[in-house]
Amino acid sequence: MPMARLFYRLMLRPLFREPVRTALTVLGIALGVAVVLAIDLAGNAAAGSFRSSMETLSGDNNLEITGAGGIPEALVGMVAALPYALRVSPRIEDFAVVHDSKQTLPLIGMDLIGEAGSFPAAMQESQEGQHGNDSNVFLAGCAKSASHAEARTDEQDTTLSCLVDPASIWVGASLGRKAGERVALLINDREQDYIVRGVYPDMNGAESAIVMDIAAAQRAVGRTGRVDRILIKTPAQGNLDEWEQRLRGVLPTGVEVRPQGAGTQENRQMLAAFRWNLMLLSYVSLIVGAFLIYNTISVSVVRRRPEIGIVRALGASRGLVLGAFLGESASFGVIGTLLGLPLGRLMAVGTVKLMGVTVKALYVSSRPGSIELSPASVALAFAVGVGVVLISAYAPAREASFVAPAQAMARGRREYEVRVHSTREVLAALVFAVAAAAASRAPAIAGKPLFGYLAALFLIVACALAIPAFVAAVMRAASQWLRRALGAEGLLASRSLRASLRRTSVLVAALATAVAMMVSIGIMVGSFRETVIAWMDEQLPADLYIRPAGDPATDRHPTISPEMVAAIAKLPGVAAIDRLRAYEIAFEGRPAMLGGADLSMYRTGRAIYRTNARSEFFSGRPSAEVFRDLRGSNNVIVSEPFASKHHLKTSDNITLALGESRAQFHILDVYYDYTSERGEILMDRETLLRYLPDPAPSNMAVYVADGAQVENVRSEIAQAAAGHRLLIFSDRQIRGEAIRIFDRTFAITYALEAVAVLVAVIGIAGALLALVIDRRRELGLMRFLGATSQQVRNLILVEAGLLGLLANVAGVVLGYFLSLVLIFVINKQSFGWTIRFHWPVAVLLGGLSFVYAATIVSGLYPAKMAVQLNPLEILHED
Amino acid sequence: MHMPMLSLCDVTKDYESDGQRVRALAGVTLDVEAGQFVTLVGRSGCGKSTLLNLAGAMDFPTTGEVRIDGTSTSGLADAALTRIRRDKVGFVFQSFQLLHTLSVIENVELPLLFAGQPNARDAARERLQWVELDGLGERLPHQLSGGQMQRVAIARALVHAPKILLADEPTGNLDTVTGNVILALLRRLTREHHTSLLMATHNVEATELADVVVRMRDGKIEAMGRP
Repeated sequence: MPMARLFYRLMLRPLFREPVRTALTVLGIALGVAVVLAIDLAGNAAAGSFRSSMETLSGDNNLEITGAGGIPEALVGMVAALPYALRVSPRIEDFAVVHDSKQTLPLIGMDLIGEAGSFPAAMQESQEGQHGNDSNVFLAGCAKSASHAEARTDEQDTTLSCLVDPASIWVGASLGRKAGERVALLINDREQDYIVRGVYPDMNGAESAIVMDIAAAQRAVGRTGRVDRILIKTPAQGNLDEWEQRLRGVLPTGVEVRPQGAGTQENRQMLAAFRWNLMLLSYVSLIVGAFLIYNTISVSVVRRRPEIGIVRALGASRGLVLGAFLGESASFGVIGTLLGLPLGRLMAVGTVKLMGVTVKALYVSSRPGSIELSPASVALAFAVGVGVVLISAYAPAREASFVAPAQAMARGRREYEVRVHSTREVLAALVFAVAAAAASRAPAIAGKPLFGYLAALFLIVACALAIPAFVAAVMRAASQWLRRALGAEGLLASRSLRASLRRTSVLVAALATAVAMMVSIGIMVGSFRETVIAWMDEQLPADLYIRPAGDPATDRHPTISPEMVAAIAKLPGVAAIDRLRAYEIAFEGRPAMLGGADLSMYRTGRAIYRTNARSEFFSGRPSAEVFRDLRGSNNVIVSEPFASKHHLKTSDNITLALGESRAQFHILDVYYDYTSERGEILMDRETLLRYLPDPAPSNMAVYVADGAQVENVRSEIAQAAAGHRLLIFSDRQIRGEAIRIFDRTFAITYALEAVAVLVAVIGIAGALLALVIDRRRELGLMRFLGATSQQVRNLILVEAGLLGLLANVAGVVLGYFLSLVLIFVINKQSFGWTIRFHWPVAVLLGGLSFVYAATIVSGLYPAKMAVQLNPLEILHED
Repeated sequence: MHMPMLSLCDVTKDYESDGQRVRALAGVTLDVEAGQFVTLVGRSGCGKSTLLNLAGAMDFPTTGEVRIDGTSTSGLADAALTRIRRDKVGFVFQSFQLLHTLSVIENVELPLLFAGQPNARDAARERLQWVELDGLGERLPHQLSGGQMQRVAIARALVHAPKILLADEPTGNLDTVTGNVILALLRRLTREHHTSLLMATHNVEATELADVVVRMRDGKIEAMGRP
């Protein structure tokens, strides 16, 4: 207890004398913790939502039978007829767009009669006003409808016919619909009215879906005679592997048996790299915060040297001094974390939205799950908050413990100076830079670019170590120029920054790290954007592009009716069409897209892909040649992310389960692709139709005949498509849409950058305040020597400006090297994209100007404090 | 009409300290003529430093009037007070108050830089010659002895050719020999350049060199006359 009192008096009480600076330090930590927590919570919420997407009504089944492009309905009967007590639940799974709200929801077709007894518990809840004793929401909904149908006498028949009525649907409560309401749904390219027969509880939208009877669903999605999945509930006896083997033995080779929920697992796995990268990005703010804590505790140690000397002389051990300073920093950490927890929870709401955009654009249709502040998340927040603070405070705290009592007391208060071992630190910086170069060449470990991250960390350390020498050199070279340009303020500012080199260096390093993050991500995103734009120029040679209406998503491939395609192809202004059919498949436990494209255009001499452009293939072969070899054979081309994820290359063979068979395909080449991170396999449409004979394409490209006006053809197509809900884009529109989605995708990284910069600027403000307090003698003296209050203010602002300038320069250099690691190591190993380097000059200039302005703004309050100092009191004290 | 370089007329100065009003100066009247050397003597806390602060336009009197070269400081805005200090007043302190981050010559030229005057470097070099430190301009203060540091402070105080030099215990941190050298230097320079010198001191030798000695006690002038 006496120790606690002592700790309060000597360590904590002084903090209250500088409330603004203390508050800024705590706020810096709180923001760092909040960002990490927000990304963690949002990541969990986003990942959680996968389960609810198609697994909404999957119940307590434990196996699933599935296949690319679905499986024949006949297999349902075959499996049900097996001499085992299996519960068999076939499913149609697709998506429907609610006309009014434009909301895209999973569409689930299930055997509403056969599965009446096996609905999940949530579906069994009796709803107020439902008919009879029936506890099943589906049956009850129809029974209720039947009881209102006065003309009918056979209520049971009516109930059944209502269940299988193609217009009957059941919806989740969060949709806000009532039984009996009519809802227009867009399924593929057709919009139809449906009647809501019942509403089921859907956990506040987390398990919202449109449910219909399986036969009605087959008709609605155009997959008569096929189902997408068969869910199996195996008997209790025997383990799951045995059941899996047993079923595999009786099913066609192309049909897959796997544990139910494997798709969810695949999605989680696919998202792992994205979440991992975001998580690490979120730690940048903490690294910036760590620099600032280091600075805060260093200032604290320097200011208290005489006190340390006194308490050491009075019998305090080194351990006690070390503990006291670590305790001070831990207090910052604990308070910062306590504030960071609610802040992080709040930020998670926005983060989920931003993450959702990226996930949807690049990975999978998802609805964010609920954000839950679990004990594990709280523990994580405390671990990173207090942990980072203690680590960063250890060095100055240890220095404090080594203060010799007599020396400290004799020398009294000293300036915050410097034992900067420039040469040694520059050499260490070189060592770290070389280590970074070496780490950047190491391969990924378990699909994670761990050495890439290490290279980035080494670069940050190298930069931090080189900064003192950099600051000293720049200030030495620039002080006379600054004197001439800015007068006394320029001279004093440059000398002051150089004199307190360690403090200056830490601040520059903190801000430079934040700037480097901004620059490196700016370069990466800018390069990516330019690469995508250039790629689109090569990929979009058609005049018009058509797809079913509805929100586009990377894992949804609604189809266009074949008769519609034929009608469009016959229009007078249409020279040719190209069709692409896409399927979602799983390859080696990861989701991927399988596509079949028309290669017919090559036969007519007009290429789908421009032949005069840069080759889209790794081999460098002309596209025409690759497509010629692809035609009609079991050859495929695969996208770069696919090849990268599965470690495949040209000439490798892959086996795909298609329809009811398994077939081997030869990889003819690998193509650059930036549409999705999921990975694609592309084959000739004719080859695909041999395995999956559904002729409906997912989208199509239209080539306008020579002499025909594109807009006229567009109008003709729109007229021909009356009754179908198709979206027709010009190549320009499709490019614009792609770039819009691209920009939204990276919104979250910009948000993370902003927080890192904010933490750094807060740190600069706090450090400038400390600087004002520590240099008040100098500031007071300035007034005696004829300085105006404006000149005193200017001195602080010039120092802030110089800090911002130094940090910007160091940040740009560090950011450049980090961008190389991001683009060519971390991105390549995580996502497999080849990105061409590009300097987004305007974006960078804007960002750097903003940081520079923010740094100067951060000096306003300290400058005000400096002006308010009373020179008489200061000189009198001295 | 004759006008003293510095004139304090019935000046009082009160401070608030822990909610209590403390009178630092009580009805002080004093004139310092151009080129005159006046020493202020008395115990610590008798009001010497307060009087210097008022004389240097660093503070306002509570009542009464302070005139520097004919200009009353009462009611002046901060900028005007700063102008008076820049043009007419130089300060020398007991603890030298050099900026350790600046070289000797940069310390000396600082007031001219604040005033935005051209040729600051030349003027600073000349003042260093005055105090016999030419050749040490590029050194940093910590590379000098105490006496040398005070010479630099004097050069800085004179760099803008002030009308009045205010010195607060300028020999207080120096040994007797060095202190006497500094006193002699101050006396010589102020005489050569017709600069008034108002010095708060405990140094007996200083009082012997002064034209007028002002003895203070409890914020009042107890006695005033030739040494």
